[in-house]
Amino acid sequence: MKSLAASVDSLLPTLLSAFGPPGRESGVRDALRRALRGMGRVTEDATGNLHWRRPGKGPRLLLAAPMDAPGVIVTRVDGTGLARVAILGNRSPAELVGASLRFEDDARGLLGCDRPKGGKNGSELEADQLFLETGLGPKEANKRFRVGSVGAIEDRPIRLGDLWCAANLDNRAGCAAVVAALRAAHAPRYDLHVVFSAQSDLGARGAITGAFGVDPETAVVVDVAHLDAKETGGAAVGKGPCLGLKESGFLAHPAALALVKRAAAAARVKTQWLIRESEGSDARAVRAARTGVPTALIAIPARRSGGPVSFVHARDIAQTADLVARLLQMPPPNSKGGRR
Amino acid sequence: MLRAEERSTTEWLHHLTALPGTPGHEHAAAREVEKAFGLYADRVERDRVGNVRAWIEGRGAAPRPRALLAAHMDRIGFLVKAVEPGGFLRLTELGGFDPRTLLGKEVVIHSKPQMAALFGTRPPHLQRPGESDRVLPVEELYLDTGRPEREVRRKAVIGTPVTLRQPPVSLLSGRMAAPAMDDRAGLVVLLRTLESLSHDRPMWDVVAVATVEEEFASICIGARTATESIDPQLGIAIDVSHGDMPGAREGDTVPLGGGPSLCVGGNIHPKVVDGLRASARALGMTVQIEGCPMGSGTDAMDIQIAREGVPTAVIGIPCRYMHTGIETVEPRDVDRCAQLLAHYLAALPEEWRATETLK
Amino acid sequence: MSRDSAPAFEERFLEAFSNAVGVSGGEESVRTAVADAVKDHVDTLEVDAMGSLVARIAPSGRRRGPHVMLCAHMDEVGVMITGIESDGRLRFRKVGGIDSRILVGQVFRIGGNGLRGVAGTLPPHLIQRADRDKVAAIEDLYLDIGAASRAEAQERVAIGDYATFDTTYERWGDTRKGKAFDDRAGCAVLASLVRSRPPIPVTAVWSVQEEVGLRGAAGAARRVAPDLAIVLEGTASGEGPGLSPEESAPLMGAGPALTVQDRSLMADARLVDLIERTARRRKIPTQWKRPGIGGTDAGRIAISGAGVPAAVISVPCRYIHAPAAYLDIKDARRTVALVWHTLDSLTKEWP
Repeated sequence: MKSLAASVDSLLPTLLSAFGPPGRESGVRDALRRALRGMGRVTEDATGNLHWRRPGKGPRLLLAAPMDAPGVIVTRVDGTGLARVAILGNRSPAELVGASLRFEDDARGLLGCDRPKGGKNGSELEADQLFLETGLGPKEANKRFRVGSVGAIEDRPIRLGDLWCAANLDNRAGCAAVVAALRAAHAPRYDLHVVFSAQSDLGARGAITGAFGVDPETAVVVDVAHLDAKETGGAAVGKGPCLGLKESGFLAHPAALALVKRAAAAARVKTQWLIRESEGSDARAVRAARTGVPTALIAIPARRSGGPVSFVHARDIAQTADLVARLLQMPPPNSKGGRR
Repeated sequence: MLRAEERSTTEWLHHLTALPGTPGHEHAAAREVEKAFGLYADRVERDRVGNVRAWIEGRGAAPRPRALLAAHMDRIGFLVKAVEPGGFLRLTELGGFDPRTLLGKEVVIHSKPQMAALFGTRPPHLQRPGESDRVLPVEELYLDTGRPEREVRRKAVIGTPVTLRQPPVSLLSGRMAAPAMDDRAGLVVLLRTLESLSHDRPMWDVVAVATVEEEFASICIGARTATESIDPQLGIAIDVSHGDMPGAREGDTVPLGGGPSLCVGGNIHPKVVDGLRASARALGMTVQIEGCPMGSGTDAMDIQIAREGVPTAVIGIPCRYMHTGIETVEPRDVDRCAQLLAHYLAALPEEWRATETLK
Repeated sequence: MSRDSAPAFEERFLEAFSNAVGVSGGEESVRTAVADAVKDHVDTLEVDAMGSLVARIAPSGRRRGPHVMLCAHMDEVGVMITGIESDGRLRFRKVGGIDSRILVGQVFRIGGNGLRGVAGTLPPHLIQRADRDKVAAIEDLYLDIGAASRAEAQERVAIGDYATFDTTYERWGDTRKGKAFDDRAGCAVLASLVRSRPPIPVTAVWSVQEEVGLRGAAGAARRVAPDLAIVLEGTASGEGPGLSPEESAPLMGAGPALTVQDRSLMADARLVDLIERTARRRKIPTQWKRPGIGGTDAGRIAISGAGVPAAVISVPCRYIHAPAAYLDIKDARRTVALVWHTLDSLTKEWP
């Protein structure tokens, strides 16, 4: 557990600051390749997913963790050198005000907003009220930024006590937990496929094609879930990994959930339940792949700040890593997998 | 005691609508459906997402084409989401209830052992002015078990399924009101179709699938994954369609007792509807045509676009008051849907395909 | 034909396809017109289980390249007849995304025989002043075919019949006017390309039901299982009074529009780059479609199977999803040329 925590702590800052908005995950792919160096072959598919495999005798298990993080795409550059953007991913415009952005060619900018019209607070902000200050004149701005330029939030993670404060924790925290678990797990009892999925924030697109390609018998998705008292009931940050029961498009499969519960008991990790109404993870896509995949969701709890940054407890990430590492050693679920 | 084979359609509706089975928790219902389908099918199996599949082997030479029939066995319901001080329960919804119909209704909490409960409602005497004008959304409703908080916390853990507790009601003209007619009435159509095809064998293989999770999420995962693994050349969903009710707009409903309804529109292959209409004519049966401009909203939506595309149709059982505890059907309509379906399948030529080769 | 000279855009296809009726789910007439146009020039031609038309072209000789799926959708937005009132009025509902405000007062062609009907409404004289500014709800609208009773209407119309705008193709200067340029423009571009037999293995798909959720392309993509896909569209130009050029992009007449991203797709960056380079080399003007809006079959194709690199090339059209649209014939010609030269580049530059 201690070594897992250290492993996560050393991985996370690099993963957080890696460039990887949905559909343009090159930076985070490179960071993950480096983190997995010496551990076997890593491949990339047509959607941009990163695949890592450790062949084994047991049933085929897919471990999936989204690697993209919300970003923006330039929709037009106006006559004054300001650019307008659309949001790529699940972030409200208000949360992005003040975010510092980095683009593919290292051009930089800062997101501001026009004074909201009519609305009483920032949450009613529309995406086209956001502007990108480039610091450049119209001519130069048009050269550096074109319609379709994709930007990522430039993350400068801060550690306050046990709390990570960063913009890209969803789901770089999950990626760190998975990599740490893979480093710790020596002889998994599964034919293990790991997919770090692309474009998850655009509707789990990477998970759709990734899971189709792998065609697993059981799957576990590792993601970050933002909690909201009204939406998610009593779960809280710092109280352990959440096991997903229901979210948008997802209901836990009893056999896969039982496997995760056994692993949690064996690892002595205390877990919480996650039921959420409006948001979803890759789990909804993985379970629907091909002839159906018994799927469980492990979600690292997070809290929103209202701005670009979220809060995640370091222990929750380490325990998730511990849980995943233990899971790879657990005897496989009943091979029939049916809901009996 | 009646033998299962001798159950009437009404008795089957009683039996199947009484079973639990919120989306994701269909296993108890699946066991009963397996028994029922096993009366007539050559083979019954459960797949890994939980669908029950009953096979009738065709008369044609192997390999035979396959027809997939789908009726969903899940029913709308809730999961316990939180236990509040006092032992009051908050719920998350699985499938879209009409929240106007829930206040004061009784439910079953599927804990071990089960507990009854009801949706609490403040009496008029204690309400603030105007309070009764507002429909409460599900997140503001609560369940009261009438039991001590400690007992509730022990039994009703987060994630426990909850269904409406409403025994079936017999109405005049043999009509019947119960929760979960959507789509347990469709399961009875499948059962009666299997019965008929077990005597009058089609050329095709027929797979009747009791699907999971039709009522949850934007994709029907049970129908979709079943289509992926069965690889059918034809898919027909059997589900309830809106029965006539006062105040409904012309064209939005079909008369109860008027026989099967057939959807038309993009979700439906015109050749399959033509075949079903020809069968109805041969049987001297009236069918009702329902325009579905943006899709049928049934398992057929996912059957159609699975694999390389599947020609689909939807047979509707007229049903009033959908997504309430008093879904009302006429058993004669259920029988007629099964007759129509069995006739069509028995008459289906071995070489029939929706695809065409132009060059 | 030498690969240096791209085929011509066959305008007669655009005219025929635009005038044909093919609301999502009822594409038969368009399918017949397309099949007639291409049948003699392709190796195989099939109708799949949902009604999409699939043509394969395997080039002879040694030139090879990736297997490319080219796709344009045949369906258009419209309405479906869902009920017949006792007085003979027809109730209808929308098929696809239509602005409710354009329905009132329109003339429609109903069913296979082109029966005319009008979307009637009370004249302003007979409406309460307060209601005059309100958009009529679709539930309150109806089509009047002149029938006096349900029985009379039922002789000519059935529940489930489709209806579309009664618009005829016309031309003035480089401008073309017609209905359903989204996506009959793409259908005509694709038919023009196919007739000249591209120098690379191509499967051409004219898909169904794009406007009701990108449905037809799903099965077609799974069946074709291409190495990459290019979707041909008639896309929305945002031009109007008081807007700057960058707000109105893509502009009619300024060349094919390329997509980086829309609500259904992140276009494959390498493929978009190759298309853009090809355009520059061939001196074909292109422009960027505004990101963040709309969606096409490419989104469905990209997530098919284990993933397919996909891009979209569009003819900019004003007023799509409305009774009549405009396009510039030069853009259609340039789109044919750009796709043709892109296919040629793919033989050399695709891994």
